[in-house]
Amino acid sequence: MRVLCVDPDTDAGRATGTAIRDAGIDATVCGTLREAREALDDTVAGVVTEYDLPDGTGLELVDAARDVVPDATCVLFTDAAFGDLDTAALGTTVVEYVDKGSPDAHDELVDLLTFSIDNRSQTAYPLPPNEEARLDAIERYVAKPDALDASLERLTTVAAALFDVEAATVGFIEARQERFVACHGTDVDSLDREDTVCTYAILDDGVMVISDTHDDPRFDTNDALDDADIRFYAGAPLRTDEGEAIGVFCLFDPEPRTFDAADRELLSTLADEVMANLELRRRLRAATGEGDE
Amino acid sequence: MSEYRFEGLPLDPVRGGTSILVAGPAHGGTRELAYRMLVGGDEEGVIVLTTNTTAADIAAECETVGIEATPDRMGIVDCLDSDESGVPARVLTVSSAQDLTGIGMRYSKLYREFHEEGREAVRTGLFSISTVLSLTELQTVSRFVHTLVGRVSKVDGLGVFLVDPAMHDERELRTISQFCDGRIDVREGPELRSQGFLGSDSEWVTFDTLAE
Repeated sequence: MRVLCVDPDTDAGRATGTAIRDAGIDATVCGTLREAREALDDTVAGVVTEYDLPDGTGLELVDAARDVVPDATCVLFTDAAFGDLDTAALGTTVVEYVDKGSPDAHDELVDLLTFSIDNRSQTAYPLPPNEEARLDAIERYVAKPDALDASLERLTTVAAALFDVEAATVGFIEARQERFVACHGTDVDSLDREDTVCTYAILDDGVMVISDTHDDPRFDTNDALDDADIRFYAGAPLRTDEGEAIGVFCLFDPEPRTFDAADRELLSTLADEVMANLELRRRLRAATGEGDE
Repeated sequence: MSEYRFEGLPLDPVRGGTSILVAGPAHGGTRELAYRMLVGGDEEGVIVLTTNTTAADIAAECETVGIEATPDRMGIVDCLDSDESGVPARVLTVSSAQDLTGIGMRYSKLYREFHEEGREAVRTGLFSISTVLSLTELQTVSRFVHTLVGRVSKVDGLGVFLVDPAMHDERELRTISQFCDGRIDVREGPELRSQGFLGSDSEWVTFDTLAE
């Protein structure tokens, strides 16, 4: 995990980078928009940027960062007057703001940055109330996700045939992404959490059904779904005995369709079957002290 | 940790860092309830982010429910870019309710000023999410609300977010409410119904729109 720290003033950039490192977070200091863009990858958890950069603005950088790491905490760290900032042009980037000119600016920045990264408070989707326990549960139940492929793959094949849909998957909702461990009719390793419908499915108690993604305000502008040709979605959460939804068994189809109560019941049964499988593996690991094989 | 009380309203106190969605018809007591939830002790600060009412009207309406609109305890971020002269509160303007970046920055500035001046407890009102949602897509508004809720949580503040359900799909509303710690629904009467921790145990109860 690291933070990109962007400031055209070399000394100021270094000082900010040092303050961030002193808080135990790795920092990469850049002086231009181009350098910062090149340094953007999925290890970036935060972006701290001046507004005025030699080749653009800090808000342009935040806009670019949202494509690469949508959940990153972004902070505009500037001493420019509000009147000198054209925020309206990129008003939808949404950033935190700390006045670089204030006497305790670095303390305030680091405090805000660590809080926002720890609490993931800039995601564009709601987090379940028990998010931390949920992520811990994934660790407990899925020691090696790749080792699960074969057994779960068969269940997705059965599901696609049973419900007559084009695709079925089993995925685990990790901190930033959904990792798919079994797929039938589609081939995807992972999706950013803000792009996947399953992000919302783990917020509901029962099976979540989207008859037509184009008719749902949460997804009607989701390009990732259109690219994957998904119009119908049904997902049953994979829930531990403690109630944490660690993943979703879901169905997709390119055509809008209905899904009745009996269908929901059946899909829940398949999700229960996956959980039983995972529970067995967890107990086996606990008994033998080994990981998945 | 601070606690926020709602004097004269059928709502239990909440701990600092709580954000509440107040959902109800634009006319019918919802707005008055949201204003009344911002009423606190003289030591508390109040910040209102307004997207559909001028700073002058906000200040006047706050005075009606008993919030003294003085610069030392009240700040307003006005997205209508209206004439702020003569408004007794501290006012920062933004050119449009679509400029969520600008709104957030001005909110941070106002909060910081209050904090520096020794106001540990600050009540924040966003009036209203409906305007923002009518101008900007849900995912962006979600990030904005989440960031604001995060800020309220970090500073042990109180967040009151107003929304008119009639203007939105229930799924939109549910998504926004999932960022908040609680939700209060309002209907004609006026009556309110809140979730468990706010005290009305899901029963509809009447409330007064004006402080006694």
